[in-house]
Amino acid sequence: MLIKLTGGRIYDPAHNIDGRVMDIYVRDGRIVERPGDAETIDQEYDLRGKVVMAGAIDMHTHIGGGKVNIARLMLPEDHRASPAVHTDACRAGCGHAAPSTLTTGYRYAEMGYTAGFEPALSPVNARQSHLEMCDTPIIDKGGYAMIGSDDYFLRMLAAKQDQNAINDYVAWILHASQAIGIKVVNPGGINAFKFNQRALNLDEENIHYKVTPREVLQSLTRAVYELGIAHPLHVHGNNLGVPGNVETTLKTMGAVEGYPVHLTHIQFHSYGTEGDRKFSSGAAAVAEALNKHKNVSADVGQILFGQTVTASGDNMRQYANSGHGSPRKSVLMDIECDSGCGVVPFKYKDQNFVNALQWAIGLEIFLLTEDPWRIFLTTDHPNGAPFTSYPHLIRLLMDKGFRNDMFAKLNLDAQSMSTLTSIDREYSLYEIAIMTRAGAAKLVGLHDRGHLGIGAGADITVYTDNADREAMFAKPDYVFKDGQLVVRNGEVVKVTWGSTHTVKPEFDRGIEKDLKKYFDTYHTMNMENFKVSAAELEDDGRGHVIVQECKGRREKTA
Amino acid sequence: MSALTFTLKQSIQQRVDLSSLTPDKLVGKNINDIAAIQLDSGRLKLRVDSLFDISGDNAEDIVFNNANGKLDYIGSQMKSGRITVNGGAGSYLGFQMRKGEIVLHGNADAFTASGMAGGLLHVHGNVGDFLAAAIPGDRKGMKGGMVIITGDAGERAGDQMRRGIILIEGNVGSYCASRMLAGTIGVLGSVGDYVGYGMRRGTLLLTQQPKLHSTIQDCGTHTLPFLSLMFKSFQHLPSKFANINKNRVQRFAGDIANDGKGEILVFK
Repeated sequence: MLIKLTGGRIYDPAHNIDGRVMDIYVRDGRIVERPGDAETIDQEYDLRGKVVMAGAIDMHTHIGGGKVNIARLMLPEDHRASPAVHTDACRAGCGHAAPSTLTTGYRYAEMGYTAGFEPALSPVNARQSHLEMCDTPIIDKGGYAMIGSDDYFLRMLAAKQDQNAINDYVAWILHASQAIGIKVVNPGGINAFKFNQRALNLDEENIHYKVTPREVLQSLTRAVYELGIAHPLHVHGNNLGVPGNVETTLKTMGAVEGYPVHLTHIQFHSYGTEGDRKFSSGAAAVAEALNKHKNVSADVGQILFGQTVTASGDNMRQYANSGHGSPRKSVLMDIECDSGCGVVPFKYKDQNFVNALQWAIGLEIFLLTEDPWRIFLTTDHPNGAPFTSYPHLIRLLMDKGFRNDMFAKLNLDAQSMSTLTSIDREYSLYEIAIMTRAGAAKLVGLHDRGHLGIGAGADITVYTDNADREAMFAKPDYVFKDGQLVVRNGEVVKVTWGSTHTVKPEFDRGIEKDLKKYFDTYHTMNMENFKVSAAELEDDGRGHVIVQECKGRREKTA
Repeated sequence: MSALTFTLKQSIQQRVDLSSLTPDKLVGKNINDIAAIQLDSGRLKLRVDSLFDISGDNAEDIVFNNANGKLDYIGSQMKSGRITVNGGAGSYLGFQMRKGEIVLHGNADAFTASGMAGGLLHVHGNVGDFLAAAIPGDRKGMKGGMVIITGDAGERAGDQMRRGIILIEGNVGSYCASRMLAGTIGVLGSVGDYVGYGMRRGTLLLTQQPKLHSTIQDCGTHTLPFLSLMFKSFQHLPSKFANINKNRVQRFAGDIANDGKGEILVFK
């Protein structure tokens, strides 16, 4: 089937197209060249005056896996308060902060998002995470395998095994967990917590393995780079949420010795200790460092006010935060001695000094970071706010007057600690398209997504230009997923099942000999059962596993 | 002005959610508006007038006639006025009720007075399980107000109750006052097994010696002056509890497996 999208104003930063009026042709789910005059157009959409972008990509959103399910289980009030009734196309669902899988997919699509990546896929839990994501309709998905606090890896590091062995293990993990990237959460800290350490600084040793977070970061950034994986090591740093952690963040940027690294939800890692309350914004320092270190990218993890739930692998920090839970409950647990999990419901309040300043710090980072290709729009769903608040966040970035009006409502002490109103920058549509499309696709390593060039997957979102950017981004006119019209006027009209993106770097399978011995000695499951196969994700017919290209091993260093 | 009366036209198969028919939600609406309100019933939405004959005009005084156990959420979240139910009620009678009065002539089902925070709920009949208990996932059951049951209550009466008074004139099933956080429950009849299971604080007043499990401890016989004051405060109530005046009790503390600050008082 040949579809023509006529006369839309195209924003495609991957090809430097900034609002040019063009036609787009789609055939069999792909964007194709203008066909010959003899060919008949099966369907034509008149997009004159409309804004056209690739489908948006959320490169960090907790949409599948153990902790999301725990959040769902723990918050029946969240479900009761937001029922989603069935429509002709959609099934019923529920949830605001931790929506059901079906509702998650529908709501993403309704905002023009066509992909979302689960950033904390615990390899031992990978099967559960993937099966949940496979039940998330319409959008494409993928996961970053979370290692760095697992026993096998820490043993390797403690034994000073060479980098090639570590590379092989990292590659094996990517294969075994069907992941597209590697994430490290509180490097070494999740494990240190189990040895009763309640904080771990960058150069502080885990008392059992005698390994520091710096060593974890160095070996993993290098492994990811040498394996040729597009997505740099995804780092949730040490000391999340601790006043004064801006120092740790700046040191972390230096610790990776020039290897590519992505610092996630950096807002939570940008706090100083100035002022009467010993809590201040480190946004300026972080943004300056981001501008300087070209190997570093970050997503913000903006907080927005209201009820949500924080779900993280960082059991050390979640344990410290569990007293702040609202409603007052929490779950903290170990996962098979290899990772951790902490879920704490939370309500951000604009009259709370700390929350108000967190809000301002996030926006300061967005506005002071110059290169939109290296800063990404996230709320760390659901930790800072549910993903459904993205249109509101986009308006905050694009509309200075609106931003300042919101700022004027905040806690007064927080206002006096922030320089937000002195920043005049407003994001353009082109920059938003970079952050949420082209840049995100490049960062994750989705070669055929996030752009509108020939051969790209036809994930396309069409908006009506509107000075109220929140209204504009909340309700696209059309969303196409792989060339099929899935959303019209902000409502799902057809439910499809997106694919799962992975990488499969080459590695020396000889490592399985040692791994098998390890599994047989220590693990609760057999090594063969630990591995998730692509067939398992595909066998109910909901989407496929796509292997994104990996540049292969770069210069061996042994 | 006469009471706003809803008379159920015929017996119904599917359960109906009546949470939208409370005095505070209906005040100021004319009869046509009320007739057009949509009620949830399974997958369907039903107009009020398709189920009920409506008469009267005083929305502060609502009467349900011919009511039965399929009608859920009567008086849910009500903030004022009075509801009289003749016949029977389903589950969640007086759910999260804040203020006002509900009188039921008939039996009610599970989760009566769940999450109730104030007001008076008077049942002339029996209630099902989970009287004044928390719904699944909530941490607290009843948080205030007064509940009088002239008949029996099912299992788990007062589960996770936080505040308020429940007076039960009949018998109660197993796990009475389980996981109770605070508040007062009085029972004139018998109670089932595992009374006060996981009880943290609160007072359970009994007239008959119950069977106790091992983590409830005997603290001896006492004369407690506060009981005289409490019964004095009950004197105006339309309940058998109004006629009691005793203060000599045997006191049991527990559940010592869960803090153990709760007390079970048994008349001597």
